[in-house]
Amino acid sequence: MPGEHLPNADAPCFSCRLVAPSTRQARRTRLCAAEVGECAIEDPRHLLRQFLMAKKWSYAVANVSIILSEIVMVQFPRILGEFTNTLSRRQLTPGRVMDYALELLLVGVVYVLLFGVGQMRNGRHGREFEYLLRKRLFDHWETLSAGYFRKRSVGDLLNHALNDVRAVREALSGGMNILTNSIFLLAATLFMTLTTINVKLTLMSLIPILFVPLLVIWWGPRIRDASRKVQESLSDMADLTEESLSAISLVKATANERVETDRFTKRVDQIVRRQLGMIQRSAMFQSFIPLLGSLSFAIALLYGGYLTVERQISLGAFVAFTLYLAMIITPLQQIGFVINNFQRASASMARLRILLSVAPDIKDSDHAVQHIEIAGDIDVRLTSFTYPDGDAPVLRNIAFSVARGQTVGIVGRTGSGKTTLANLLPRIFDPPDSSVFVDGYDIRELPLSVLRAAIAYVPQDGFLFSTSIGENIGFSSVDATPEAIEQAARNAAIYEDIMRFRDGMATQIGERGVTLSGGQKQRTAIARALLKNAPILLLDDSLSAVDMNTEKRLITRLQQIRHGKTTLIVAHRLSAVRHADLILVLDGGELVESGTHTDLIRRKGVYSALYRLQHDGEGVTG
Amino acid sequence: MRQKTLRDATPTSGLASLAHLLPFARPYIGYFAVVFVLVVIYNAASVLQPYLVKIAIDRDISVAHLDLHGLIAVSLVYIGAVIASVAANYFQILLLQYVGQSIVRKIRIRLFSHIESQSMSFFDNNSLGRLVTNVSSDTETVSQFFTQFFLSMVRDGLSLVMIIAVMFELSPRIAAYCMVLLPIIFAISLLFRKRLRTAYQTTRTRLSNVVSFLAENLAGMRITQIFHQEDRQAERFRSLNEAHRSANVHEYQVSVQFNRALDLLGNVAVAGVVWVGGNAVIGHMILFGTLYAFITYIRQFFQPINSITQQWNTLQSSIVAADRIGRVLAVQPDVADPVQPLTPREVTGKIEFDQVSFAYKPGENVLNDISFAVAPGAFVGFVGATGAGKSSIMSLLTRFYDVSQGRVTVDDVDVREYRQEDLHRMIGLVQQDVHLFSGTVTDNIRMFRGEFSEQDVIRAAEAVGADEIIRRLPQGYETKLFAKGANLSMGERQLVSFARVVLLNPRVLILDEATASLDSQTEAWVQRGLQAVAKNRTTLVIAHRLSTIRHADQIIVLDRGRIIEQGDHETLVAKGGMYARLYEKSGIEAPATAAVDILTLSPVARG
Ligand SMILES: Nc1ncnc2c1ncn2[C@@H]1O[C@H](COP(=O)(O)OP(=O)(O)OP(=O)(O)O)[C@@H](O)[C@H]1O
Ligand SMILES: Nc1ncnc2c1ncn2[C@@H]1O[C@H](COP(=O)(O)OP(=O)(O)OP(=O)(O)O)[C@@H](O)[C@H]1O
Ligand SMILES: [Mg+2]
Ligand SMILES: [Mg+2]
Repeated sequence: MPGEHLPNADAPCFSCRLVAPSTRQARRTRLCAAEVGECAIEDPRHLLRQFLMAKKWSYAVANVSIILSEIVMVQFPRILGEFTNTLSRRQLTPGRVMDYALELLLVGVVYVLLFGVGQMRNGRHGREFEYLLRKRLFDHWETLSAGYFRKRSVGDLLNHALNDVRAVREALSGGMNILTNSIFLLAATLFMTLTTINVKLTLMSLIPILFVPLLVIWWGPRIRDASRKVQESLSDMADLTEESLSAISLVKATANERVETDRFTKRVDQIVRRQLGMIQRSAMFQSFIPLLGSLSFAIALLYGGYLTVERQISLGAFVAFTLYLAMIITPLQQIGFVINNFQRASASMARLRILLSVAPDIKDSDHAVQHIEIAGDIDVRLTSFTYPDGDAPVLRNIAFSVARGQTVGIVGRTGSGKTTLANLLPRIFDPPDSSVFVDGYDIRELPLSVLRAAIAYVPQDGFLFSTSIGENIGFSSVDATPEAIEQAARNAAIYEDIMRFRDGMATQIGERGVTLSGGQKQRTAIARALLKNAPILLLDDSLSAVDMNTEKRLITRLQQIRHGKTTLIVAHRLSAVRHADLILVLDGGELVESGTHTDLIRRKGVYSALYRLQHDGEGVTG
Repeated sequence: MRQKTLRDATPTSGLASLAHLLPFARPYIGYFAVVFVLVVIYNAASVLQPYLVKIAIDRDISVAHLDLHGLIAVSLVYIGAVIASVAANYFQILLLQYVGQSIVRKIRIRLFSHIESQSMSFFDNNSLGRLVTNVSSDTETVSQFFTQFFLSMVRDGLSLVMIIAVMFELSPRIAAYCMVLLPIIFAISLLFRKRLRTAYQTTRTRLSNVVSFLAENLAGMRITQIFHQEDRQAERFRSLNEAHRSANVHEYQVSVQFNRALDLLGNVAVAGVVWVGGNAVIGHMILFGTLYAFITYIRQFFQPINSITQQWNTLQSSIVAADRIGRVLAVQPDVADPVQPLTPREVTGKIEFDQVSFAYKPGENVLNDISFAVAPGAFVGFVGATGAGKSSIMSLLTRFYDVSQGRVTVDDVDVREYRQEDLHRMIGLVQQDVHLFSGTVTDNIRMFRGEFSEQDVIRAAEAVGADEIIRRLPQGYETKLFAKGANLSMGERQLVSFARVVLLNPRVLILDEATASLDSQTEAWVQRGLQAVAKNRTTLVIAHRLSTIRHADQIIVLDRGRIIEQGDHETLVAKGGMYARLYEKSGIEAPATAAVDILTLSPVARG
């Protein structure tokens, strides 16, 4: 099986221990299962194995036809050798010349057809695997939590999906063709020379070629290592490009283009250095192999010539032998090339393996409660919460309850933990066990699908997709009717703005909604959440970019449509929360005050201080 | 304003797109020449080989008695030639790859700085994913033109010439027959050219779609998960991915067909040579050794042809990539620096808008007839409904876009007469969306500029009250921020961007809802800090929280792209117009009960 050669100097696929079948999400298993039968294993090498197994007949056909084509191909020197012998026996007639020519023609045509078929198939499968790997990556990413994406940059992930996947495909398709081709050409040639020419001559000539495996063992890991470094530096560059271009307005506003170009240049220089390092190694490797091939040829010339003169072999045999050797010089060169290719693929495979082996940290618990309707009671009894990568707790001693239908305002200083608290509810970050309850269930025991279906969340940095504004509002449901979208837009007080656009709901809003104003972006995100009509609505500082008029309209509208449903509003502007049934005041990660607006004003604590600032604007001029 | 979405089409100009990139290769002409020499050495050695065998056969082997010395001599010459050729090959690879990498490096840097010099409308219309692929993978493809294709042209072209020469030398008649092949090869190549290029183009565009989709969805994964739309997005990805796969397979099939067609031709040719040559040997027109050499040469003849045609694929893909790069490089920034820029001297910070109109898309005016003046050192507030055009006004002042009509002046000079760099040094902008880079807090504040010391950075942070928050982070100022500052709260990110602007210390400061994510207390500190560091700075503030701008010297009220009111807080409230209504609503005091509370509580609280 040619697939064995893929992770070549690395541990081959087959020696891998089989991981026990899925404890992962059912969804993922289903997705993979549809493609290549069973697969619930993270390792891309297993994916490859599955793929090769699923396509084994097709691969068999492909490789058999390549092998057949080589068997046909090695008839070439044989025919020419016979031709030579007929000639030296002076038995050559125009008729026989014709026969030989036709024979050669036949060999040529059959070879091309057979090889073409094999090559076509291998190439197609390589591309199918490329597709599969990308799909797998995306499915995998979809199961990972915000905690993962915070730490990784898009540029780096893109580089995996683009370049690493391509490196694997190149090995699998082109590499496979050349490898099968070269190995069987070598084997067939060897067979032919051993049987039809002279055993001693063949063995003598082979001595230098025996060193090829040693070279592979010596150079292989070095090339792979160098290749990994190259990929890493490419990732770095892609990162910086992505980051810099997405912050372009800042770069421009601070006249920082030159600094950015310098930073970019540094990364590009790094790539050049590492590329050249890799090239040095692979060039050395690639030069040595044909050198050994040529040594073989020299031996053949010397020793074969001697044997011919001694009449131990015929002139025809000598001619055929040199032709045979000439024929394997190219495959030898190609093997060098292919092994380089495989080393590169193996480095990429390792990178992909690391990427795919990250287990989703936020997932359904094994004994999740199924089939329930959420009404919207919330109970929080949190003693402390620390970010997975943080060293100190960000939230401490927070306890409050919200009955279904209530509106809760959350206020507090910058960095006091409001967003963190909001993120716990839909399990963007997982709270500790038994600290957040919805309808009496610990949210960690609720299936993600149930929990998230019950919560409509407008994050502080609302993200919009580069589709039309209507599609963005209808994002939460595939079959949102235009009426529902329109209604949601009206509720979010953005409908009039949209109608003022020439294309209305079909207006394309650009990447992350760049063609919308700040307030329009926020209201689009609110409309998107309202369309969901969920029992719990969570607005994280989502009214900060709208004017007072619009805010008032929105709040009034929310009070109407959220009647009987739970609504949580995080805000800095107190006007957005003053009507709430309960206002929570966070400070330094702790719940310091809670009550209604009137209660809190009376208490003269943090809330009333904030209130005075906003009401009188006294802090502004100092 | 022109639409500048880059659209890819099958390049018809072909080599012309590559020709545009030739200047990048020009400095390396010397290297190319050396590569050429090395290739000649390599080739000569390879061509020598059948010739040596011919000598061995005709002189040493087919004679009656053994001439071992002759044979050894031939073998030694052969080994010498091989070593020379391997060495030449090794250095050739190194040199050529060095050149290739250097060219890619230059193209990348040029492309990157070109993209960075584009105006904002370019970024409104083009997806980031595409631009990233331009920089990272199209450049890589183009480099293959300078390495693989060039090499193949030289090496294979040279072998072809040498082989043809030797063939004519051996037997002009048979060689002449062989030349019939050339037009056939040419015809086949032409036949496939268009198909190959279209196939590459399609694959490339579809790959680019895949990348754009991925880039966007990785950034917005949170939203997909919150709304539980994983299946839908996976389905979308699947269809894009599938479209790419089918184009990719098709492209491969076309190129395989093309290469095999030529292969076939090669094999037919060998049969032909045997037929023609065999008859010639029978007629004693040539020696057998000659026929042997001929057969070897005709097979060798197809090796370079084969690899040239392999490179034909490379050529087509480089043309497509070069075309994509060319399209980016060809975009002239909408907003360009003047030919003779005015260098600002002492900036006072006077700003004037004179009957300015502006549209992002032709025919959809966002600003109409905007006129106002700001005295040096003044503090001006902008209010108005969302989408009224406040941010757009600031974008015109910073020249992110150019006005459609009218003019914008700073210190009585049209902003179009300054170099953008100078303009941006005069005017500092703090936006509502904060952009942070992966890197330390210090680097983020000083924007990676070497000219600011750590002390400067700390002072700037202290001025806006960010120092305390930064010191609380795990490694203080050296804490590495995640991409886009994901490990800071929104307000903390905002504070970092304030520290930035304090450090840069511009004469004119624009705050575009910059304090919206801050609590009022922090906001007050920030404002105080900003005023303390630079007195007499012109400050333009957009705010929805009216308390922020209440004490402004002048407040400009906008509605649907027009200025409807101007004046200070008191005048505008007295006027009873839009501002007065907004002010009323900002009322946390609006309800009667609360109003009572204030009356009773305020004096105590103030005390
Ligand atoms: N991923 C993270 N890892 C570690 N610390 C974090 C992370 N995200 C936020 N923090 C820290 O947790 C604290 C609380 O942040 P949070 O975003 O909850 O504040 P917030 O109340 O929403 O503030 P704001 O009003 O500015 O939005 C901050 O000090 C912040 O630096
Ligand atoms: N890059 C752009 N391309 C096309 N249209 C745009 C672009 N940016 C803004 N617009 C449109 O121009 C109008 C004014 O937008 P602008 O951002 O100036 O409003 P704003 O007054 O700042 O509003 P907000 O208070 O919500 O930030 C809006 O209708 C918006 O959709
Ligand atoms: Mg927050
Ligand atoms: Mg705005």
